[in-house]
Amino acid sequence: MRLILSSLLALTLLFAPGAFAAFASERIIIVTHSDNTGVRLSREQIRNLFMGASVGRDLQPVALPPGNRTRSLFNIKIVGLSDSRVQSYWAQMKFTGRRPPPQIVNSEKAMVQYLLDTPDSIGYLTADTDLPEDLIVIYATD
Amino acid sequence: MIKIPGVAAVVSALLLGAEACYAEKLTDNLEISGFARVIGGYLSHSSRRFDGYTNEVSLDEQSLLAVQPSYSFNDKLSVSSQFVAHTGDDRDSGLEWAYLSYQPSSAWHFRAGKLRTPFFIYSDGYDVGYSYPWVTAPVQVYNNYLFSNFNGASASYYHSGNSLALNLEAYYGYYEGDLFLAGSKVDVETEVEDLAGIVATISRNNLSLRMSYHQARNTTEIPNVSELRSQLYALGYNDSAKSLESSGNVYALQTSLSYDTLNSFYKAEWVNIVTGYEIAPEITGYYLMAGRVINDWTLHATYSRSEYSAVKMSNELPIPPTGNPQQDMLSTAYYQVFASTPNGNLDSYTLGTRWDFRMNMALKAEITLLEESRSRSGFFMSPANDSTENAYLYQVAWEWIF
Repeated sequence: MRLILSSLLALTLLFAPGAFAAFASERIIIVTHSDNTGVRLSREQIRNLFMGASVGRDLQPVALPPGNRTRSLFNIKIVGLSDSRVQSYWAQMKFTGRRPPPQIVNSEKAMVQYLLDTPDSIGYLTADTDLPEDLIVIYATD
Repeated sequence: MIKIPGVAAVVSALLLGAEACYAEKLTDNLEISGFARVIGGYLSHSSRRFDGYTNEVSLDEQSLLAVQPSYSFNDKLSVSSQFVAHTGDDRDSGLEWAYLSYQPSSAWHFRAGKLRTPFFIYSDGYDVGYSYPWVTAPVQVYNNYLFSNFNGASASYYHSGNSLALNLEAYYGYYEGDLFLAGSKVDVETEVEDLAGIVATISRNNLSLRMSYHQARNTTEIPNVSELRSQLYALGYNDSAKSLESSGNVYALQTSLSYDTLNSFYKAEWVNIVTGYEIAPEITGYYLMAGRVINDWTLHATYSRSEYSAVKMSNELPIPPTGNPQQDMLSTAYYQVFASTPNGNLDSYTLGTRWDFRMNMALKAEITLLEESRSRSGFFMSPANDSTENAYLYQVAWEWIF
């Protein structure tokens, strides 16, 4: 039964207009320390910041590790690329020496702590995360 | 040249012990990472060689292993290097690059040392097969007039505004070493001075336009040709002698457009290389590719083409037989040089697939139909032959980053 179900699921994914539709309903929030109140970034700027660009302030992007579900959501909704294509991008950047990938923390919990401890950093979480008072949301996806 | 035998064996051994980890931090400051690729290929042609491949299955043409140690002194200053062991005969194994890197802010990046040449989109990452969908990036663009690194410095700036991002890079340096022509190492030492270039990439959402311009002063001495040239000058055939000059300026122009969505991607890249001397003709290469991403699978199709301009040879030497054997020998030698210079076209059609079966590994398979629409494209070895060749190239690859 499980086999049939997973085969069906695989087929659905294969023929779905967007194979990544399964993630569509969850929202991603972009979070930073309350010291950065007033920072306004467009989706495009957040995307580019996490792809290695400067946005005019020295904000350090912090990412979750490859394979993490929240990272996949971020890649789909903000970057607009699948996980493997983001991996390919970073392989190119890293092994050509152009730019290093963002700092990585191992879990959502570690992300919250890192953002609290490092006021000039910026990270992403799912919208249902309980945020401590000192963290603010500067962008949320639909 | 260091020849590393059986890199494939080394890589397989490493794989057995490989965790799905990504980069190893030995201390807070020292990080070791790297990549490997094992590529098998077969060419459906009974007598020609293409990019090292023949009608015998080979694993030793493009397989490689690279290790990249990197040491950070602080947030801004670091040293990085990359050692690559190639199985193919055309590329030298050893230190690929080593440089000092300074990042005073998130927008600026300065590097100095031995660097990879950023000619075209994948030039500096050509060895990193994991970073592109193909097994072999289009040879018409990536295997022409190439050298992979240079000594010098580069500065880059990457800033994102509200809706547009701009990435600028400028570099300057020199190069001494092997030269590549139509995918094969030309057996001469070349000296490239005043190598300079500028690369501009403008992007908006997932649409990206890259334009670059590169120039250099090149001195290449091909012993046999130099000797012939001296003889021609000595006998007063100045036009003919001059047409054999192999030193002068080289210019390369590149434009590419990429568009990515979650489920598909499209890319077109065009390059044009012009030299200031007659014997090496102008070359134009381009490709158009489209791909579709379905979960961990990628399917892609590519058309690519290269065109050499006609070489301008002098016609002042009498065509043999003239009755004077010495004269005939000289003329024959002169016309022979031009008869073996590539000046044909190569079209290719590639269909391929990639499966990202783990976070840091991918398997690929592709088939390429190679068709010379004008003879002597330069890519099928044995260039003095005037027939137009065609063949299928079958390739599979395993890509790993660690």
